[in-house]
Amino acid sequence: MIQTILSRIGWFLLLVALQVFVFNHIHVLGYATPMPYVFFLLILPNDLPRWLFVALGFLLGLIIDMFADTPGVASASLCATGLAIPFLLKAMTPSDKEEEVFIPSLHTLGRFRFMLFAASASLINIVLYFVIELFSFYNWESLLIGIGGSWLLTWLFVIAIESIRSATKKK
Amino acid sequence: MRNLLDFLRKYNYVFLFLLLEIASFVLLFRFNNFQGSVWFTSANTVVATINGAYGDMMAYLNLQTVNRDLTQRNIVLQQQVEQLRVALARATHDSTYTEKRIAEILSDYEMIPARVVSNTTRGSNNYLVIDRGSAHGVSTEMGVVGGGGVVGIVYLVEQHHSLVIPVTNKKSNISCRVRGQSYHGFLQWEGGSLRRAFVDDIPRYAAAKVGEVVETSGYSSMFPPGIFVGRVKKVGNSPDGQSYRLDVSLGTDFANIRDVSVIATPHKVEIDSLYHHANTQLSM
Repeated sequence: MIQTILSRIGWFLLLVALQVFVFNHIHVLGYATPMPYVFFLLILPNDLPRWLFVALGFLLGLIIDMFADTPGVASASLCATGLAIPFLLKAMTPSDKEEEVFIPSLHTLGRFRFMLFAASASLINIVLYFVIELFSFYNWESLLIGIGGSWLLTWLFVIAIESIRSATKKK
Repeated sequence: MRNLLDFLRKYNYVFLFLLLEIASFVLLFRFNNFQGSVWFTSANTVVATINGAYGDMMAYLNLQTVNRDLTQRNIVLQQQVEQLRVALARATHDSTYTEKRIAEILSDYEMIPARVVSNTTRGSNNYLVIDRGSAHGVSTEMGVVGGGGVVGIVYLVEQHHSLVIPVTNKKSNISCRVRGQSYHGFLQWEGGSLRRAFVDDIPRYAAAKVGEVVETSGYSSMFPPGIFVGRVKKVGNSPDGQSYRLDVSLGTDFANIRDVSVIATPHKVEIDSLYHHANTQLSM
């Protein structure tokens, strides 16, 4: 139990550090910024109370905001993503695992389901993040490009991180 | 109560979500100038929309009062327009030849300007009421002229108003002549058109022609000689066949008469006195 909590804290700090020191400085073509910190919410066990998804999403977002100087933007978007993730997870869970307690991964959900799960959760987070940050639909073309690019990058990084995690676990 | 608690417990994550979202947005608007200003503007738009709707509603409810005020205002403005219209007509009035000639003839006479305040034109016994009376020096049997020529004779006088018998009254009887000739007759109106009267008793040897000017003869104390009355429209026979009857087109439009002048004849008293003596002596 303590190991699990420590492991979660470790992931939390790692993802914050990666976002703050690495990903926040990536701006592909001036638009796309990966935000794979949503990965922290994707790998929470399916029996965790929903309010914890919401609270942890808010907390992670708040810390990202503090470092990125975007108060309220990441916390609001990740909090809403945290509300949606348990529903997405339930929808993606294979029928034979509905009664089980598991941690979502490429292995437990299956490659395709996990990718879809990661893609939908990332999309929700990215869309909310960009809408709240820009707070205007005036430049809707650049908004769409930003959302599309960031979503793709985020999804790729999430899958990459999950692949590394799964590979490490197997060993 | 138990159900409420169950409900709150079941959906605790939703309430937590709402609470944290509110906290996030407070941070967002508090620490981000752009989002804060957009929020402030949007909020103001909402307030302005609500205030606008409220204002429209109150304006609708006040329409009755507004309508009443507007009606009153409209009446006041109509009166002002009428006053200004009259003032403008007076200021820009271009005097006609007849008016100039009348003014020339009457230069030795005292003129009392007056305005027609009542005018009947439908019956056979028409009357005019003017806004000058004994207080202004008007007395009975004074002549009244207008821009188009002879108007009538003062019949009754009150302190501030007088009643005039116009040419368009069957009782009117004004001595006239054709300009340039000394034969005179009496102008009479027989009803019908307000622009048409007759001069009877013109001798057959008088050469009256259509288009000639009919003017006052000066044989009465009311009008000096030479004041325009009208023009000969037709020369016909009088009912008895002994003389001519001139069909006269009147110079004054009695249906549209406004400003007139009363002629205060300086010699009227003398002429009246002579008439009186003559009548007295002849009747003896």
